[in-house]
Amino acid sequence: MSNAALTPHSSLLSTHSPAPLLTADRVTRLYGDRIGCVDVSFSLWPGEVLGVVGESGSGKSTLLRCLSGLDRPTSGSVAFADPAGLIPDIFALDEQRRRGLMRTAWGIVHQNPRDGLRMAVSAGGNIGERLMDRGDRHYGSIREAALEWLARVEIDPARIDDRPSQFSGGMQQRLQIARVLVSGPRLVYMDEPTGGLDVSVQARLLDLLRALVRDLGLAAVIVTHDLAVARLLTDRLMVMRNGRVVEEGLTDQVLDDPQHAYTQLLTASVLAA
Amino acid sequence: MTTMIRVEGVAKTFVLHNQSGIRLPVLDNVSLVVDAGEAVVLSGPSGAGKSTLLRILYGNYRPSSGRVLVRHGGNLVDLVAAAPRAVLEVRRRTLGWVSQFLRVIPRISTLDLVRDPLLARGVGDAEATRRARDMLARMNLPESLWRLPPQTFSGGEQQRVNIARSLVDPAPVLLLDEPTASLDAVNREVVVGLVNDARANGSAIVGIFHDEAVRSRVATRLIDVTAFTPKGIAA
Repeated sequence: MSNAALTPHSSLLSTHSPAPLLTADRVTRLYGDRIGCVDVSFSLWPGEVLGVVGESGSGKSTLLRCLSGLDRPTSGSVAFADPAGLIPDIFALDEQRRRGLMRTAWGIVHQNPRDGLRMAVSAGGNIGERLMDRGDRHYGSIREAALEWLARVEIDPARIDDRPSQFSGGMQQRLQIARVLVSGPRLVYMDEPTGGLDVSVQARLLDLLRALVRDLGLAAVIVTHDLAVARLLTDRLMVMRNGRVVEEGLTDQVLDDPQHAYTQLLTASVLAA
Repeated sequence: MTTMIRVEGVAKTFVLHNQSGIRLPVLDNVSLVVDAGEAVVLSGPSGAGKSTLLRILYGNYRPSSGRVLVRHGGNLVDLVAAAPRAVLEVRRRTLGWVSQFLRVIPRISTLDLVRDPLLARGVGDAEATRRARDMLARMNLPESLWRLPPQTFSGGEQQRVNIARSLVDPAPVLLLDEPTASLDAVNREVVVGLVNDARANGSAIVGIFHDEAVRSRVATRLIDVTAFTPKGIAA
């Protein structure tokens, strides 16, 4: 019961926030005859961290693409509580408006940092670009924010003018996180954020993510096949198989007392989670 | 007295789907009430379901049937039916879990780990530091360790950090899973003192203690969980 010894990360989670930030309603994505995900429904409140686990091919990445606006569901809707008012379905918006939200209202941390970074642009430029997207024009303050965020994700600020291609995999991933968080999103999507990194580098990144989520009161949806990552970072868990959610609940409940045959198989298949 | 925990008709059967769907009934018809200021110690042989029951009280295991009501603020919240975020909120303010195992975020200093629960409940910075320092001193942890993260400490030192963190601001309902196991006699005494202080201050306590001497000094009441063994199952 590892979470027991910890203050829940969602320390900003409060019963005073009655409205969900994100609501998925029967989100379904089919690729011809092939199933991506089917009938996925849930609500996410401010400050909550939801994990989505399952094997590759279970539909978790498809779901993340639908939730984050990258891929239009075949049916179902994704509602988002924008500060300016509730958006009942982000896919009912025109493309330009949805793209705008994807740059400011929420962020996406890709498994491969190359998908989230501009490799030909300096580290500082990668961070600053998001601020310019948001309308910031003052060079000095943009550079200052970039320096601050480099330090925050534990990259030596002296490397602000280096390109990401000169960074290690772990540093690239931290830079991608800085780029996503600098514009102050309330919601972050992460697809296997520690995938492809060495174990020691993973541990450092997990620490960092945990602290950032907690300090900033972020809501997050984290897709991972690693149950230990889910245990460390998430409050709630959804287990997916063949495109469907087979079990959900508090993370420690699902991992310590799994009810579904597939979840029991998953939790029995790892050394320690 | 104020009822802090009310368990009604709880049963727990584990179903192991990947082992031919074997069913393991562990608890049946559990009903109990724990008031503020009480310390209930669960007794019974190994495998009787003490740990399962304690985990059900924390909302960690999901019972097959029944209700687990915990007083949270002015309300009794049913942990079985409550939404996940409501259970988290009950844990944050009302339910404390104390075990012998420290599993915390790496790279955070021992002092900050112990300050953290105080800050999370709105205690001011200076006051939180003072109380955390008092607690670490009471747990006989050398001051030279307070600035370090506990990952490199000995098992016994980590255990004491965990207890300091768990009991620096005792929750209204404390669930104790053998917190004194493997502590030396001096520190065992300290923990017994802390638990008794928490109870005197009104916490409702449910715990598992294998050490006979500790059990008799902490318990105001024993509950033998073999009373909840499903019929037809030998304890």
